[in-house]
Amino acid sequence: MFTSFKRILKFGWQGFWRNKTLSLQVIFIMGVVVFAISFIFLFEQIGNFLITQSEEKVDISVYFKKDATEEAMLNLKQELLTLTDQVKSVDYISKKEANEIFIEKHKDDKFYMEALDQVQEDPFLASLNIKAFSSDKYAFIDEFLKAKEPEGIIEKVSYSKNKEVINQLFYITSNVKKAGFVGGIGIALLVILITFNTIKLTIISIKDEITTSRLVGASSWFIRGPFLVQSILYAIASVIIFDAIFAGCVIFLNDKMQTLFLDFNLVSVLKSNGAYLLLAQIACTIFLGSISSFLASRKYLKM
Amino acid sequence: MIKFQNLTKIYNTQAGKIVALSNVNLEIGKGELVSVVGKSGAGKSTLVKIFTREEKPSKGGIFFNDINICELKGKKLQEMRRKIGVVHQDYKLLCDKNVEENLCYIMQVVGVGDKAIAKDVKKVLEIVGIENRVCHFPHELSGGEKQRLAIARALIHRPEIIIADEPTGNLDVYNSYEVISLFKKINEMGTTILLLTHDKEAVDYLQKRVITLDQGKIIGDDKKGRFIL
Repeated sequence: MFTSFKRILKFGWQGFWRNKTLSLQVIFIMGVVVFAISFIFLFEQIGNFLITQSEEKVDISVYFKKDATEEAMLNLKQELLTLTDQVKSVDYISKKEANEIFIEKHKDDKFYMEALDQVQEDPFLASLNIKAFSSDKYAFIDEFLKAKEPEGIIEKVSYSKNKEVINQLFYITSNVKKAGFVGGIGIALLVILITFNTIKLTIISIKDEITTSRLVGASSWFIRGPFLVQSILYAIASVIIFDAIFAGCVIFLNDKMQTLFLDFNLVSVLKSNGAYLLLAQIACTIFLGSISSFLASRKYLKM
Repeated sequence: MIKFQNLTKIYNTQAGKIVALSNVNLEIGKGELVSVVGKSGAGKSTLVKIFTREEKPSKGGIFFNDINICELKGKKLQEMRRKIGVVHQDYKLLCDKNVEENLCYIMQVVGVGDKAIAKDVKKVLEIVGIENRVCHFPHELSGGEKQRLAIARALIHRPEIIIADEPTGNLDVYNSYEVISLFKKINEMGTTILLLTHDKEAVDYLQKRVITLDQGKIIGDDKKGRFIL
């Protein structure tokens, strides 16, 4: 058993090394698989980053009436925090804090500061800043707050003002996700077809050898084994070569991407997710290569 | 040892039915050297293809040590193939392996250890006379050398029978004589040989049993080695 395994490994290596032109062609095609996986990963990461960045900038604010007690306002905050599927965070801003924020923001602007001095009464209202997990959750939160209005502590809710922007954002993010999903499936199908046909052509080019091996009594696994070994070697070689190219591109383009995509840092993304990406590339290429060679050789092994 | 029983092979083509073999009945004993002769299209190659199970007969069977080869499948078929040595008309060598590796492969298929393989390869290469071509690939060999390699491959795992399909078909007179002498030598070592040829000189030289095929039927079985076509 061990002797056969050793021989299968040896034949696999011989097939890979001796047919250099063929091996290079397959490695190149498998490189397309590696690039496709990297591209899908990159698209998803940039897409998620941009969506998160946009959603971070959106929130709704609840402004309380001047006579609303702090206890009532904090009670409402607690009630909002129980909406665990929708509400990501709620920040309470008191009148005093609102005043401080305004001053900090406009301290260099005489016009605002003079206007604030001229106002006799404190113009600021206490408020709650609510952030949802995603833009489609705001409508639900707005409905929840509307139901609270009869209690008489809410002055206004900013949702109706921001509704259009939020809905637009929801429309864009959901479509970006859909496009990413459909595009990913399309690329995956294309890559599967290309890989299968390349491996099939490789097998066809050695069909006489398969037939001869069969006629001298070789078992299916004795013939198939080397093809599987070759597929693994193709996969490893293509991942090493094309990831080196990909890494070079990333280092070269990282600064430009940061400028283009709101400080999106691909190098740090790859540092934290690179191992998973590498694993996915190796697993996909080995799986595709092995399955393709298994299916393509089946026809000639029936003899 | 080998029994062909009512062996019939009919090919269905667009032009109609072609009868390649028709009710062939034949027995070959252990250690015999039998030449099967006949014109092109007589059914010689079909006989080999059915024996190696490249094709299935339309009717009848081939019994090898009382086992019907035509009914074997999967693992048992592969085990049977390991007991037969075949020299194909087109050599069927493994192109990406050199002379030594072509020979080793057969032994590796059978599961022989590396040391035993090395010993046997050396011995067989000496018998067929291509010991100076060990590291050459098939495309680097002459026709005669390829034929010798094919014979060495058929011989190396000590099969019970060697079937040779037109082994002198692609060779010049000198090489033909060498190859036929080789078969005679192998037969003298105790291996049963079934030689399919249309080479009259080779058959005359051997002076062994000759079976004549014509249009898929046996028309002669001469123990004195006469070529009657």
